[in-house]
Amino acid sequence: MLKATLLLVALLAAGEPRLQAQTEYHARLGAVWTNDLVRDFIFDEITVRQSIAPMLALGATLPVGPRGYRAGLEGTLASGKFHSREEGGDIDLGTLRTATLQLGLEGPFSSALRWRAGLGGIKYLPSDDEGVFLEGGPIRFLVGASVDYRRAVMPRWDLMLSLGYDYHRFSTDELKHRGFSQSQGVSRVAFTVGLSRRPQ
Amino acid sequence: MSAVGRTRSRWLATALAVAGVGCSDIATPIRNDFYEWRYIVPAGSGVGFDSLAFRWPKDRLPVRIWVEDSLDLRTNVPAAITAWRQAFLYGEFDAVVVSDSSTADVIARAGAAPGIQFVRTRLHSALAPECAGATDLDVTPDHQQLRLPVRMYIDPRSGQSDPNLASCLALTTTHELGHALGIWRHSADPTDLMFSNPEVTEPSERDMETAQILYHFTPNVEPVGP
Repeated sequence: MLKATLLLVALLAAGEPRLQAQTEYHARLGAVWTNDLVRDFIFDEITVRQSIAPMLALGATLPVGPRGYRAGLEGTLASGKFHSREEGGDIDLGTLRTATLQLGLEGPFSSALRWRAGLGGIKYLPSDDEGVFLEGGPIRFLVGASVDYRRAVMPRWDLMLSLGYDYHRFSTDELKHRGFSQSQGVSRVAFTVGLSRRPQ
Repeated sequence: MSAVGRTRSRWLATALAVAGVGCSDIATPIRNDFYEWRYIVPAGSGVGFDSLAFRWPKDRLPVRIWVEDSLDLRTNVPAAITAWRQAFLYGEFDAVVVSDSSTADVIARAGAAPGIQFVRTRLHSALAPECAGATDLDVTPDHQQLRLPVRMYIDPRSGQSDPNLASCLALTTTHELGHALGIWRHSADPTDLMFSNPEVTEPSERDMETAQILYHFTPNVEPVGP
């Protein structure tokens, strides 16, 4: 996974003109919703969840095969508040950023709709190393899929709407240290809007 | 069973295992290593006993602590706040040092605690040769309210040249803050910071588990004032 990512980045960065001409770039802004990161029980249920967070996505793809398939790399950065919730109210736990990097494959549903699926990782970047993140934010394996809608708005530029879903298993060193076992399944749903620059 | 059937069964079992792991939640730990934190006193009604349970409510966080500028208290109290904050997973406790004692929830002073006749409830601690500590709680006679501020005293018993004085003052400050946050009893285990004559410098895992549990237990004493 890492080798393939590095190879793709290296190829694009190398400035090979033919590759650059075939590369599609996209940038989108939107928001991501996340379900509970932690569910605990001490007399009552306690949950930790990130609020709906603004998200930036940047990516690039290259053609693979003759049927409109493309392989690419996409990175996202989301930043929002996170809080614990228990009967009686919420407690603000500060800011939590998440960064993802996914290597993926995409293909056509129709002329305007495309699917994407990818594998990668998610890194948690809390503003403070406290609470469940006392021993730092983890990096977790991530799988994702999305549906993209594109519509030409300018020569070589498409409006791009994307509805994405990804899934990972969440835990931290501090949670393990406190005796939590296994991990929490975390689903994220993102809706983003942006522009895509078509290949030449 | 045929080879095809066995292969299908293996795939099905694998798929079920993957789905099971994928859908399972994080497993919470068993929390049974804690000690009694409630202060048990003769009941206000005169019959039986009351177990007083106190914690700082969410809407009073961060707890405001005024600190006397003496005996390294201005260093030791923030370190004690950090030590206790790390006991909690979900932001249940937080405190800040404030400059105005008239609005403080907790007052930390250097020196000996005043005569016992001036307080309703005193929790003595750290009867080490180098230093001692005390926390005074003004609980109303009906045992339903804690009148603020809580007062902590850190008292050096030996001279400044004593090499053990600094560490005694630091751990006693953290111990007294443990009382101020709601652990109103002493642990019976000397490896805990909340042991009556503490020797360890940081809250133990049992101290942390006790603090975590008390902050999810329904209190029966509420803070009032200042």
